[in-house]
Amino acid sequence: MSTQAVVSAVKESVETASPLRIEARATWLDAGRPVRAHKTLSLRDDSGVVGYVPGDLTLTVRAGTPLSEIEQVTREHDQWLPLDPYGTSDGTIGATLATASAGPLSASFGLPRDLLLGLEFVNGRGEVVRGGGKVVKNVAGFDLSRLLTGSWGTLGVITEVTLRLYALPKVDRTFAIALKGSEQETGRVIHVITESALSPYALQYFSRPAVRALELGEHPVCLIRFGGNDAVVRAQVNALSQIAKPEETESEIWTRVRQLDGSAHTVVRISSLPVQFRAASARILGDDVGGIYVSIDPRRGVLRIVVGGEDANGDSGTAAIGSSVDFHESQGVIFEKLPPDIWSAVSPSVVSDPLSQGIKRAYDPRNILNPGILGDLM
Amino acid sequence: MTPPQASPAQTPSSTVSTQSAVAERLAEIVGERHVLSRQSELLVYNSDGLPGYRRQPKLAVFPGSGEEAVAVVRFLAKQGLPFVPRGAGTGLSGGALADDIVVIGLHRLKKIISLDVENRRATVEPGVVNLRLNKHVAPHGLLYAPDPSSEAACTIGGNVAENAGGPHCLKYGVTLNHVLAMTVILPSGEIVELGSKVGERDGYDLRGAFIGSEGCFGLALEITVKLTPKPQTVRTLLADFMSVDAAAHVTSAIIASGIVPAALEFMDGPTIRVVEDSIYAAGYPRDAEAILLIELDGLEAGVAADLETVRRVCLDGAARNVKVARDEAERMKLWQGRKKAFGAMGRLAPHLIVQDAVIPRTKLPEVLATIHAISEKYGVVVCNVFHAGDGNLHPNIAYSADDPAESERVHKAMIEIMRACIDAGGSITGEHGVGLDKMGYMEAIFSETSLNAMCELRSVFDPERRSNPGKVVPVHACKEWRAVSGGRLRIAEPPAEVHEPRPLEAEPARPSAR
Repeated sequence: MSTQAVVSAVKESVETASPLRIEARATWLDAGRPVRAHKTLSLRDDSGVVGYVPGDLTLTVRAGTPLSEIEQVTREHDQWLPLDPYGTSDGTIGATLATASAGPLSASFGLPRDLLLGLEFVNGRGEVVRGGGKVVKNVAGFDLSRLLTGSWGTLGVITEVTLRLYALPKVDRTFAIALKGSEQETGRVIHVITESALSPYALQYFSRPAVRALELGEHPVCLIRFGGNDAVVRAQVNALSQIAKPEETESEIWTRVRQLDGSAHTVVRISSLPVQFRAASARILGDDVGGIYVSIDPRRGVLRIVVGGEDANGDSGTAAIGSSVDFHESQGVIFEKLPPDIWSAVSPSVVSDPLSQGIKRAYDPRNILNPGILGDLM
Repeated sequence: MTPPQASPAQTPSSTVSTQSAVAERLAEIVGERHVLSRQSELLVYNSDGLPGYRRQPKLAVFPGSGEEAVAVVRFLAKQGLPFVPRGAGTGLSGGALADDIVVIGLHRLKKIISLDVENRRATVEPGVVNLRLNKHVAPHGLLYAPDPSSEAACTIGGNVAENAGGPHCLKYGVTLNHVLAMTVILPSGEIVELGSKVGERDGYDLRGAFIGSEGCFGLALEITVKLTPKPQTVRTLLADFMSVDAAAHVTSAIIASGIVPAALEFMDGPTIRVVEDSIYAAGYPRDAEAILLIELDGLEAGVAADLETVRRVCLDGAARNVKVARDEAERMKLWQGRKKAFGAMGRLAPHLIVQDAVIPRTKLPEVLATIHAISEKYGVVVCNVFHAGDGNLHPNIAYSADDPAESERVHKAMIEIMRACIDAGGSITGEHGVGLDKMGYMEAIFSETSLNAMCELRSVFDPERRSNPGKVVPVHACKEWRAVSGGRLRIAEPPAEVHEPRPLEAEPARPSAR
């Protein structure tokens, strides 16, 4: 597979009017709205490093490269791509960027859009387009890299990307704080951690069912990850110990966090002002509905609800959690996964505004790239 | 100087009658004193921070509120008239110039609409000056991270248009990484919300597409930005070297060490001596061939450890001395020299050319050597003062534009320098934007289909191409546009390679470092 092969496949689809389902490792095909396509364009084999000069802290790879390969290649040079989307590292960088998927590290290192320096894609006419570049700072031309990130393959098939890397921290430690007290006490701990000078790599709170699934005990838990040089981590751990009783846990826990989705049929992300979440967090974390895993990233301002764990108990939990958050101020309800038959009722389209329609028509005039995955134009 | 190609002409009578009628109508919206139409009054608006380019606007209008701005844009839309949005005019790419069309100046829209300390965000009008926003939020222990050198004058609206950077963007990211949402008026007069003030949003990243669109996609009337907590500790080091090469290698070594300094700035020998000869003397060692100004910030404990690492990297890399600023006054003095370096170059010659190329950081030693060789070949003095940590070069040449032979040599040297940066895998602009100045290089880094994709994106936001026409992407690169050029619009195509003189004080001085 090469860019030229993608060009040929797209052109053929245009000629035969047969839309394409774009995929790579097919690890997350149940996300997004149902796609109306009979043919699949797979980037699975379009994988590998194109350019890596460790001293530049930039990496250019083919879009079908699995995150695990990027981890491995960069780790050899004590570097990493601090991107930990939900799911597994078997997923590809192309899919991660196309879906703008981000995990717990994003509150510190940024969303996929912040780590992408440039890309190559094939638009719906089979033309090869490049946006951005391979250097860390660049304002030449309109920003096609941001445009393609999160476009779910509907504007172009991403074939190659250049990413910003970071050095692996000398020290990387994760702690769990069991929130055993009353709702009020939990609220206090959340408040104090938030107001402290701590600067963790990741900070997430988990509801009881999620904690059980993570095998971290019976109480809501705060997971907090510190990285950097030895001194800065030690200072933060000491500071944290003044606030609560942190227990060190193996960093492998974050892999399990990313895989909480498992067999879930519904994943919803609610984003709002960080302060609102802080206010509601203690209450939400107290909810205990089987099979409904809630995680809160107070810095990013995101509450993530996973429904459909093995002990799932219908959608009542989602409703209960929903009632704890003031939706009037929260315009960001993002559905990642839903049972296929209810998409049209819950979230028919996120690209029905005139600008999005115009862009889609310009880049994929025949609507052959992942048609329907973001909803229809009109 | 290469003259611009002729624009599609309008008949004089229609131009005149239109102009007075347009001015009258605009005056009804914003008040008579906020419309300029006399050529003498408009002279102020015929250049930006890159005064080598001059384009005379036909009219200038200065709305005093968001409502007035909306009315102005809608009126112009109805008339089918092109316009150029303009902030403080500190840009360095000729991007804010209006060639015989209307300028919409936004500097009167300077309300800080809201400040939400707890959620660390602020919503501002586009005319709010960058530094003023920072002063406004500082008492709350917050800052707005992007800090272009022109921060004392430039506006947030302009920063959004250019996706502005600055020394501290090495660690904190550029404007793109700090803007959450915008209320935008499209050239058609329609108002859209891009991004989200309160959360994340799915669908296409229209906010990302808009930032850095150089005024070609419309006007941002309200901008919600993310604010950053002030770091607990800031430490600033000055390392000096007896060779450019050693300093370049140390830059690469610091980046490779994994430490992300808040800023990592480079000044070469000619720049050091110019600064030290000027009133901005910062106490840099005059005999050094290069200095690095390195700032580290963050939590106290971490910064102290990183400071030692950086000091060691510098000394291992043949730094002669590494000096750590003892107090805030000393820190400010060290920064002052860097900030005023462009101004100090006025001592060398009456005109100055500034470039903004970016190269991969490991190529610094090689490209700096190439730049030196090019300067020798053409007998010109290049002063390098730049954001080394990002690989964002600013090679400057001071010269006299009145000397045609010298001008010729300088411009040839600049073109060769740009080519060297492109050949090294770099970009033509890191933070100044394409505007008019670098349009001629766009085809050197983007293919025809890529440029066309940019044209198509622009056409979605501005189908009639009335907002800042003739900038960023060369018109001939746009398939669809070539077919329908002309009409009522005046789209003047600028020269591919600009040979216009560049007077001094290009980079407005920044009064103080953070």
